[in-house]
Amino acid sequence: MNRIMPLIKIDINNTYGLSAIKYKLKNKRERWQLILIPIIILSILPSYYLLVSGIYRLYDTFLYIGQKAMFLLYGILATQLILFFTGLLYVLSKYYFSNDLNILIPLPLKARDIISAKFVTMMVHEYLTSLPIVLPFIITYGVKGNEDLIYWLYSLILLLFIPVIPLSLASIIIMAFMKFTNIKGKKDLLRIIGYFVMIVLLIAFQLKIQSITEKALVNEEDFLYKLVTDSSLLVKRLGLAFPPSMWAALSLNNYMKLTGLFYTMLFVGTSLLVFAIMVVLSERVFLAGLIGNLEVHTSSGSGKVKASAFSRSYPVYLTVALKEIKLLLRTPIYLFNSVGGVVILPIIFILSIFMEEAAPVEQLSLLIGQYSDIINLIGIGYVTALGIINCVGCTTFSREGKNLWLHRTMPIEIRAQIFGRILSSLFVQLIGIVVLLVCLAYMGLINIKSVLWITVLGLLGSIVMTELGMIIDIYRPLLDWDNPQKPMKQNLNVLISMALGSLYIFLIGFLVYRMINRVDIVLIYGIVAVIFILSSYIFYEILKRLIERQFKVLE
Amino acid sequence: MLKLEGLSKTYSKGQVKAVDNINLEVKPGEIFGFLGPNGAGKTTTIKMIVGLLKPDTGKVFIDGIDVWEKPLEAKRKISYVPDTPEVYDKLKGIEYLNFIADIYGIAKEVRQERIEKYLDIFGLKDAIGNLIGSYSHGMKQKLVLISALIHEPELFILDEPMVGLDPKSSFNLKEIMRERCQEGKTVFFSTHVLDMAEKLCDRIAIINKGKIIALGTMEELKSTAEDKESLEKIFLELTEDE
Repeated sequence: MNRIMPLIKIDINNTYGLSAIKYKLKNKRERWQLILIPIIILSILPSYYLLVSGIYRLYDTFLYIGQKAMFLLYGILATQLILFFTGLLYVLSKYYFSNDLNILIPLPLKARDIISAKFVTMMVHEYLTSLPIVLPFIITYGVKGNEDLIYWLYSLILLLFIPVIPLSLASIIIMAFMKFTNIKGKKDLLRIIGYFVMIVLLIAFQLKIQSITEKALVNEEDFLYKLVTDSSLLVKRLGLAFPPSMWAALSLNNYMKLTGLFYTMLFVGTSLLVFAIMVVLSERVFLAGLIGNLEVHTSSGSGKVKASAFSRSYPVYLTVALKEIKLLLRTPIYLFNSVGGVVILPIIFILSIFMEEAAPVEQLSLLIGQYSDIINLIGIGYVTALGIINCVGCTTFSREGKNLWLHRTMPIEIRAQIFGRILSSLFVQLIGIVVLLVCLAYMGLINIKSVLWITVLGLLGSIVMTELGMIIDIYRPLLDWDNPQKPMKQNLNVLISMALGSLYIFLIGFLVYRMINRVDIVLIYGIVAVIFILSSYIFYEILKRLIERQFKVLE
Repeated sequence: MLKLEGLSKTYSKGQVKAVDNINLEVKPGEIFGFLGPNGAGKTTTIKMIVGLLKPDTGKVFIDGIDVWEKPLEAKRKISYVPDTPEVYDKLKGIEYLNFIADIYGIAKEVRQERIEKYLDIFGLKDAIGNLIGSYSHGMKQKLVLISALIHEPELFILDEPMVGLDPKSSFNLKEIMRERCQEGKTVFFSTHVLDMAEKLCDRIAIINKGKIIALGTMEELKSTAEDKESLEKIFLELTEDE
C-alpha cells in the first residue's frame, strides 16, 4: 500500500494537471484561464437542468404504475453502462498509450501496484462522470419518497462502488484484447480495427439483450397481474441485462428489509471480487501485453526506401494536410476520437433499428412524409455538428505538442497552415458523410438531391466549425503533454468549442425553423450557404491574425 | 549574415534576466561558436533568433531582414536544429523529409539527390522507411540534421548539435559545417564541447548570466586571458566567479 500511495498521488497530479493549476493560480498572466471553468459549467447547466427535471417527472411515472425500483434501475443501469463504454477507451489510453509506463516499469514496483494506482485515478475520473448522472436519480428517489437515513447510507456505499465493476470489466476486456492483438508488424492497425469491431459487437449485444428482455416482459400472459403484485417485477426482468445494476436498485428499494442488506452486500462483494480478478489477471496478462507494446522493431534493412519514395513537390497547404491526416490515422487515440466519432453514431442508429425491427424507421418515414426536406436539413445540421465532434479543428495545434517548434521556425505561410488543417478536418468529415449517406440509403430515405445538399452544405458548415475550433485551440493551445490522450480527451478546448459550436448550430437551426413553410426550401439552403460562407470568411480573418500573433508570443 | 542588436529577455516579471542586452554580428562564411555554462542564456538567445521566443527588447537581423518583422522571408534563409530532436513519431523518416522539402518547395530530383547524400553521410539509409517512433535519440538527431540541410540554408543554426551523435556522425557534421563555410554560408552553434569549438570555430562568444563576456577569434580570446593554454582554461577562468 505504501508503494501505491505515491503512485496514485503522482498519477492524479499528472492526469489533472494539479501542479499546472497551482501555477496558474500563482501566475497572474495565466490566472484568467481558470475563469473559463465556471463559464463552461454554466453553459452546460441549462441542458443539465432539463435532464434533471425529466428525471424528476420520470419518478412520478414509475410511482404511478407501482414500479418505483425501476426508476432507480434506470439511473444505475445507465450510469454503469456509460462508465463501461467510456471506460473501454479510458483504460486503453491509460494503460497502453501513456508514456509513463516507460518510467514505471523499470522501477521496483509490482504490476499490481501500477495497475491499482492507475485504477484509482480512473475511479476518480469515473466518479466525475457517474455522479452527475446517478445523483439526480438517488436524490429524487430519496427526497420525493421521503426515505430514511439508512437509504442515504446505502446510497453512499453504492455510489462509492458504482464504477468498480464497469471499470474492472473494461480493464479485463482491454487487457485481453491487447494481449491477443500483440502481433508483430501490424499491431496498431489490428488494434484499431479490433477496437471498432469490439465496440459495435458490444453495442449490438447490449441492444439484443434489451430487446429480448423487453419482449419477455410483455409477452407473458399473467404479466399485468404480476406487475400489480410485485413492485420490483420490471427491475428483475430488465435488470438481467446487467445484474449488478439490478442488485443496487433492489438494495435501495428494499433498504428497510433484510433483502436490502443482502443486495447491498451482494453488490459490494461482487465489485470487490471482480476487482480482485482484474488485479490477478493483470499480473499475468497486463505486463506481457504491455512489454510487447513498448517494443519497437529495429531496422533490419527493411527501412530502405525506393526512389519512388521521394515525392514530387506538393503545395505547402497540401503537405500540411497530408501530414495531419497521416498522424490522425496512425495515432490510435486520435483515430478513435476523430474518425471513430463521426462513424459510430450512424452505426449505432442502424444497429438499434436492426435490433428493434424498424419501429423508428416508420416514425421517420411518417415525419418525412409530412415534410420531405426535413431529412436534408437534419443531415446538414448533423454533418455540421460532426465538424466539431470530430475534434480535428479544436485540437489541431494542441496535437502538435512539442513539435510546434517546426511550424514556428519554418517558412510556412499562415494561409497554408489554415487551409491544410481545414482540409484534414474535411477529410474526416467526408468519411462521416459517406457513413451517414450509406445509413440513410439503407433506410431508403435518400435521393440524389439529398446527397448533394447534405454533402455541399454539410462541408461548408464543417469549415465553419473547424475554424471555430482552431480559433479556440490556437488561443490557448495545450502543448505540454507526454500522452497523446491529453490533447484530445483532456483538452478544455474541445468542450469550449462544442459549447460555442452548438450555440452556433442552434441559432442557425432556429432561423431555419422560422423559415420552414414560409420560404421556398431552395432559398433556405441558399441562406444557410451564405451564412456559412460569410462566417467562414470572418473566422478565417480572425484565425489569420490570431495564429500570426500566437506563433510569435507562445513560449 | 546574423546581427543581434540589444537583445534582451527576462522571465518572472523582469526578475530573472535570461539574456541581457546582447550585441553580436556574424559574417557570411563564418563558423561561430556560442559557449556558456548551463543556464547562461544560450538556448534563449537561439530561440529568439529563430522566432520561437519574442525578445523583450532588441532586434534580430538575418541577411538584413528583421526576423520579427518579416518572419517568413527570414525563415527561408535559415534552418534550425534544436537541442532536443522533437519530431513526429508517427511519420516515417522519409515522410518527414518529404514534408520539410515540400515546405521549402524543393523539386523531386533535387530533394532525392540531397537526401540520399546526407542519408549516406549519417548512415540513416537503412532506417529511413521506418516510423520515427522506432528511432533512437541519435537517429532522431540525425534526421533533424538532414531535414535542416535539405534546402541548403544560408544560415545554419544548431543548439548543442553533438549531443547524442556517435563519433563518426559528429566528425561528419563538423565536415559539413566546414564545407558550408567554404561555400560562403554561415554556421552558428552553441556547444559545451570546448575542444570542438576551439578547433572548428572562426570566432567564439562566451555568454554567462545572459551577458556576452568574451568575443573574438581563438587568438583574441587567448590574448585577454591570463592562462592562455586552452579554451577550457579560458572558459573556466571567465565564468568562474561571475
